[in-house]
Amino acid sequence: MIELPLILLITALLGSILAGLSCSTIGVFVVRMNLVSIGYCMSHAAFAGAAFGLLINVDPMFGAIVFSIATALFLGPLSEKAKLESNVVIGFLFSIMIAFAFIFLNMIPGNAATGAALSILWGSIFMINLNDLFLLVLLSFVMLLFFILFYKELTAMLFHRKLAEASGVNTKMFFFAILFFVGFTVSVSLKLVGGLLVFALIVNPTSTAYQLFFDFKKISLASPFIGVVSCLLGFLVSLEWNLPIGAAIVVVSSLIFAFSILFSPKRKKGKKPLFS
Amino acid sequence: MGAVIELDNVSTIYEGERIPSLHNITLSIDEGEFVAVIGPNGAGKTTLLETINGLLPATSGTVRVFGKNVKTHGLEIRKKIGYVIQNFEIDSLTPFLSKDVVMMGRTGRIGLLRFPNQRDWERVFSNMQLLGIEGFKDRAVGKLSGGEFQKVLIARALTQEPDVLLLDEPFANLDVSSRKRVSDLLTTLNIERSLTMVFVSHDINAIPEACTRTIVLDQGRIVCQGELETVLSSSIVQQLWQRGKKHD
Ligand SMILES: Nc1ncnc2c1ncn2[C@@H]1O[C@H](COP(=O)(O)OP(=O)(O)O)[C@@H](O)[C@H]1O
Ligand SMILES: [Mg+2]
Repeated sequence: MIELPLILLITALLGSILAGLSCSTIGVFVVRMNLVSIGYCMSHAAFAGAAFGLLINVDPMFGAIVFSIATALFLGPLSEKAKLESNVVIGFLFSIMIAFAFIFLNMIPGNAATGAALSILWGSIFMINLNDLFLLVLLSFVMLLFFILFYKELTAMLFHRKLAEASGVNTKMFFFAILFFVGFTVSVSLKLVGGLLVFALIVNPTSTAYQLFFDFKKISLASPFIGVVSCLLGFLVSLEWNLPIGAAIVVVSSLIFAFSILFSPKRKKGKKPLFS
Repeated sequence: MGAVIELDNVSTIYEGERIPSLHNITLSIDEGEFVAVIGPNGAGKTTLLETINGLLPATSGTVRVFGKNVKTHGLEIRKKIGYVIQNFEIDSLTPFLSKDVVMMGRTGRIGLLRFPNQRDWERVFSNMQLLGIEGFKDRAVGKLSGGEFQKVLIARALTQEPDVLLLDEPFANLDVSSRKRVSDLLTTLNIERSLTMVFVSHDINAIPEACTRTIVLDQGRIVCQGELETVLSSSIVQQLWQRGKKHD
């Protein structure tokens, strides 16, 4: 177990909890609305943006936000159109973003940046400061408020976007709001979890919740809960065995997901149908 | 009683397509009318409904509902149009309960920043009762049969308490007694509340008796319209359905 100053420990602990909360809340939308590939692309854009931030000496989080929101603005309209086309673009953009990220990291002069650069790659509890913590609090609060105030519109849209539009919901506005939340969430969680793994924290807890429940209300409560638990356990594992925190969190949340598949009521009882 | 739905020389072309799915349609539907639109598969029936409520933007011409242009007032208009979408294959893991799906019909009507109240839920349950699906209220929609889900979709549209109701093949998955039940329900709504309805079907035999006008659509054009009897005996319609039979 590593010895840490208390203030750092508490900052990191709160950071983990809030990152878990915000990632797994937005995950509910990402998984249900099939935004996994566009979100994946945005999280890698955030990674490239963070690397670029380090390169030009601004806060990596700022670079991450700019890059991921720009990606959302570009991919959002595209994904509203023909499916095939947008998937091709997403695949292309995803690889180019990783390439950029590595180029930027490589261009950072000297050794001083290496620690920071590596932590962007796989996350670190040492990178997270009070500023980040404040942003995480703000983001979690705004997102929960958004979720509660527009619960009725959001669920209608998650059930069936066209039907929601047909009963007078401005689905385009909500769609973009969700993409922006994805962008902000991956950006502020990136320092902690790392650019390569942050998206797993969005998808894993939610996928677990979708395995366990048929009622959307329960899913939207369970997902943040599982997200927070994953992050807390990941945090402890990372301290105990001196592992990168992002990797620890992702391993924990993946294990929880694996267990949920084993015990899922959706897979129990009755035989699997012949065709499905 | 003025026109509620007016289409003036409307053509609709799907994105990336060249051939219009609707061709210069001019049509006016009055308040309280019960219009049946029939036509073979691919005639443009679904396209017509979605052009009326603005889910598909008309490529040319103007669509007016309640006297307002759908292009500019779409959101506001759609709050008052119920739409029973053509039945679709629903993923069996869909995590929404039937009662919640029925309530979703009211989303636009209740309005932003408001929450469903007791009265809204009463509407939900009374409509589910009317359709005989109150027993499924706490079941996930993914676990329902095609016909049960169809009834949920109908209850959802009714719960919106619309001024215009668009129905796309609402009988497709229903058995004979359910058809009768829904047909009677629609007739009652039409007569007692003078609800304007556009009912789409590829099956001539499915048209409820209360229909006041029948429109025949083929290849995106209106080929014939009038009272059901007159339409059915017209040579165009007989040709169309003769052609259909050969394909079967
Ligand atoms: N999303 C789409 N993109 C391109 N063409 C479409 C689309 N949906 C329908 N069409 C075409 O428009 C025509 C009318 O379709 P539709 O209105 O669904 O017919 P119907 O409901 O009468 O069976 C058909 O030729 C169909 O191929
Ligand atoms: Mg159709």
